[in-house]
Amino acid sequence: MSIDLPYSRQEMMAIATGRELKDGELAIFGVGLSMLAGYFAQAHHAPNIRAMTEGGVYGATPVGGLPWGIECNRISANATSFTSAIDALGCLVASGRCDVGIIGAAQVDKFGNVNTTGIWEGDIGDSYRLPKTRLTGAGGANDIACGAGRVVIMVTHEPKRFAEKVSYISSPGYLDGGNARDKFGFVGGGPSAIVTTLGILRPDPVSKEFILDAYYAFSSVEEILQATGWDLKVSPTVHVVPEPTPEELAALRRVDETGALRK
Amino acid sequence: MPSHKLLSLAEAVRRHTWDGMQYASGAALPVGSDAIAFGRELLRQKRRDLHAIFHCNTQQLNLLAGAGAASKAECGFSGLEVFGFANGLRRAVESGQLALEDYSNLAMAVRLLGGAMNWPFVPATVNIGSDIQDRSAFAPDDYPATRKIPTVTDPFSGREIGAFSPLQPDLAAIHVSLADPLGNAIMLGTEWSRFELSRAAKKVILIADAIVDTDCMRQFPNLVRIPDLIVEAVVYQPFAAWPQSSPGLYDVDETHMKFMNKALSTAEGTADYVRDYVDSYADLDGYLDLIGRANIEALSNSTTSFLLDPFRQWIKTPAEIAALTAEATA
Repeated sequence: MSIDLPYSRQEMMAIATGRELKDGELAIFGVGLSMLAGYFAQAHHAPNIRAMTEGGVYGATPVGGLPWGIECNRISANATSFTSAIDALGCLVASGRCDVGIIGAAQVDKFGNVNTTGIWEGDIGDSYRLPKTRLTGAGGANDIACGAGRVVIMVTHEPKRFAEKVSYISSPGYLDGGNARDKFGFVGGGPSAIVTTLGILRPDPVSKEFILDAYYAFSSVEEILQATGWDLKVSPTVHVVPEPTPEELAALRRVDETGALRK
Repeated sequence: MPSHKLLSLAEAVRRHTWDGMQYASGAALPVGSDAIAFGRELLRQKRRDLHAIFHCNTQQLNLLAGAGAASKAECGFSGLEVFGFANGLRRAVESGQLALEDYSNLAMAVRLLGGAMNWPFVPATVNIGSDIQDRSAFAPDDYPATRKIPTVTDPFSGREIGAFSPLQPDLAAIHVSLADPLGNAIMLGTEWSRFELSRAAKKVILIADAIVDTDCMRQFPNLVRIPDLIVEAVVYQPFAAWPQSSPGLYDVDETHMKFMNKALSTAEGTADYVRDYVDSYADLDGYLDLIGRANIEALSNSTTSFLLDPFRQWIKTPAEIAALTAEATA
């Protein structure tokens, strides 16, 4: 890894995530880095993306940098409609209308299940004992994971965050793999990519196990395997992700005015 | 019919709250509109053993949990968004002092809708298949949990879905931007689930940043999402959501958000915070002094200020509000 890169790893992750979004899609972004990735896409290659937050803020573009929350004044200064949680997460996501969502994760496993609830030593077991570390809970990510057409998961690539099996499923990926989601009739299709600070993982079309699809100019297959807590399979077509273009970087930095991705 | 429902914060808490009650607030989000001042008053009056229904955690629940005033909570999101983990709530959960029952954000909203409609249950197409369904903090030995989100059969398709329990909390303290003296309210910014909560709760108290004349409501009746006929009392409390934001009125106080959350990470820090920022003021003026007059001016200079413009002509001055209150108690 180089300290001479003209962009940070977090910026590469945000840009790679933003590239997953297409112009015109109905999209929902979680709080924090997900929002920067989403609004980067809008500022760069998807000007007609129909972006919303789970609070029901529509038609808005953040001003003054990364919003502190999805209802922050930074994203309330130029909205065209304010509604409610039931409208955004229910009428527009649970209904099946939403094309794509971006969510974060504290921990993710090989079937794309996300844990944002807590960290336990080992299996929780039959009794729901207290977590060693309590996290933030599911928020709207469970609803997005159940309802959005596809979901992009953004996560820092470290062994402790990439577990064979998460200790608590806060937001469902492909559960036990294969067609396990079918039993629950989710309207959404599940995670299409896990975009990390080191590369991009995508699900095998049948087993739904996530495999390494691409690495960055500053990372390598070897580094990613070492940073993954399960026996990660490598796609036969594994390739390098194009570096951010000057236009992409400029667009991202216009959105990330306070430099949250460079800290 | 009374000419108004204005009540002081202290009196509202004295009359309408009790130990062990199911108390709902935070139907906003962790950075935005919430009746945080009401939570401070609950602590001032030493309310205990609260069962908190907070669609999302806010600094209010963070404070109540950190100070040991809540023993149960039900939440969709329990962090502080970009401000990080909620240290007071986190400490209460990790120590076992508070049982936190997890749902998702849509789940909390539809459970409030179910309570509002008096439905026996709400069909669940989210939260099923995850540990939100299988793990219950209120029944930790019941695994997979059978009473939290039980599996039911959709009578039309025959497929298995879940059933959410509706919520009908004893009291909801709801932050609104503008209320008239009768209890008609306008919320600027996303209303999150305050509409559903106002119909689900057995009793509703509005905590308003500003009081306007009823003529304002007659000008914008479509924006009055909480009407007076379901409101018990109106509390006038400028900066009621501080240190969180209130779109159109003030921005989030970033410095105090961080300071407060850091204080709540330890028992000692929490005791200091309660001494300095909960028990320390005598009245509304004292509360505003605590926030700081210069700070208030800076936070009020928000990029969202224009949202308040259509309503400014009807905003009552503190003197007018005081006169109104005195008139009825005379």
